[in-house]
Amino acid sequence: MTSKAKQVESHAVRPRPLVRQYRYITWLSLSLMSFLALMVLIIYESRWVYPEIQAYFSQTGNLSGQQLATRSRMYLQNAQAELLTDQPEQAAFDAAFMNIELAYGLSDMHIYRREYECSEPSLAVLNRLLTWLEVREIDRVNAVGELFTPIQCLSHIEMDQLDQRGAAINYFSESTRQHNQMLTYSSLLIFVLGLAFWGLHERQLHRTDRATRETLEWMQRAMRDPLTGVGNRSALLQDVLANQHQSLGLILVDIDFFKQYNDAYGHPQGDTLLHQLATIIGQALNHDAQLYRLGGDEFAALLHCPDSETLKRYCRQIIEGVREANFAHAAHPDKKGVTLSVGGCCFVANEHTFTLAYEAADKALYQVKTAGRDGWQVTE
Amino acid sequence: MNAVALQRSPRVRARRLLLLVQVLLVQVLIATSFALPVAANAHTLELINGDVTQQIPVSDLHAISDTTFTLYDPYQGREVEMQGVVFQAFLIDQFGEIPPALHFTAWDDYEVTLSNWDDPNWYLITLEDGEPLSLRQRGPIRLVERDYGNRDVENLREFNDWVWMIRRIEVKW
Repeated sequence: MTSKAKQVESHAVRPRPLVRQYRYITWLSLSLMSFLALMVLIIYESRWVYPEIQAYFSQTGNLSGQQLATRSRMYLQNAQAELLTDQPEQAAFDAAFMNIELAYGLSDMHIYRREYECSEPSLAVLNRLLTWLEVREIDRVNAVGELFTPIQCLSHIEMDQLDQRGAAINYFSESTRQHNQMLTYSSLLIFVLGLAFWGLHERQLHRTDRATRETLEWMQRAMRDPLTGVGNRSALLQDVLANQHQSLGLILVDIDFFKQYNDAYGHPQGDTLLHQLATIIGQALNHDAQLYRLGGDEFAALLHCPDSETLKRYCRQIIEGVREANFAHAAHPDKKGVTLSVGGCCFVANEHTFTLAYEAADKALYQVKTAGRDGWQVTE
Repeated sequence: MNAVALQRSPRVRARRLLLLVQVLLVQVLIATSFALPVAANAHTLELINGDVTQQIPVSDLHAISDTTFTLYDPYQGREVEMQGVVFQAFLIDQFGEIPPALHFTAWDDYEVTLSNWDDPNWYLITLEDGEPLSLRQRGPIRLVERDYGNRDVENLREFNDWVWMIRRIEVKW
């Protein structure tokens, strides 16, 4: 593998977790913030409407909900009624006096004086009338007549106040309509934004998933031998570490005179043989073992090994399986078909013992080779 | 009628003079009571605590009005010197403690029940600019807040709790 190819593979395999997670969190946060903003807007608008309604209509139907001018006018009309009823003059004057005083108190308001020209003269009329009533310097009919001017003024104030209240209600109604519109459009906009952010978040999530899958695929490929499809040396070491403290068996397999096979049949045929052997060895191990290609013509198998007899049985099955396959080998010095040399040992798995086990299995394999190949041996 | 008969002894004359004075006094009293019935009525505050009802002359309230302060009255639109008594202290003095709620009845038939009176900010006002309050000035007794913070003085709805022309206060336990 060239350095450039290594760079490409390295770049493709390396995940970009920080950048991806940052984007993922940002889109998600924006989406959630949008929906939160929508909630806040709705709550704000509903809280705006309630106090306005409360301010304008809460006192409707009770005495304090009436205008002061209305109440004042009613007392003046009561005074007129008292003056005109068939009762002794003294009683009529007393009742009228009381009503006019109350009317005066309710109409003597700064806001009326400031905004209505008739207010000051009306109060002056009432003041004068009260004085006359106190000293009996007016008769009933004239007193009733004197009250018409203040009543007219108070009616005018009432009507104007009603107009103002109507204007306020119209303004409130218009404001409510505007707020409703704003709420509708804002809600729609925020909702669409929230959905858009959520969509971006989903897209980012999908991309992240795909990148994770690609990374895992690259990692798996990095653990595979591309020619035979079995694991490579890295996968072997990883599997040993994944089974720490367990009793494992390691089998090393070497193809006898493979160089001569390649020379005789060519490298493509040699590759085919490797592939076929991987299948044969896998079948011989009843798929109870993981098979690895360590390089060239060397295979390894890792399996659970409760005792050395089990390991020996598997070694024997491998040899017999290849013999049964009877692959031709025209360049074999002993005029045989393709044969294997197999060495194995049992060990309790960890990183340190694996090195020793590998050396022991290799030593057994070497002994088979020196003994003429086409056989197996297990180091006890 | 003879001359002797026409002669009156000083004792008789004094008795007749005394009688005349008594008659005049009665007439003045009657006339006054008819001429100013409203003023007489509006010069008392009625306090009701269960079965006990007491009439407190407004003049008595004048006597205990020991606090004077200047306040912008939003209803009059000007600074006013108000004189009265802390309502919290008045309640304790009258009922021994602060009642949970009070029902007010005003001379203009306004009625309202309000609570949370354990607040020294409320004053029972009986004099304004040194003069007793009349009905025309929304008296004879008025309940106001000494400090109404930064409430808008142009918005009179903000001062709805001020009670004017107080006639009767009934305790609600």
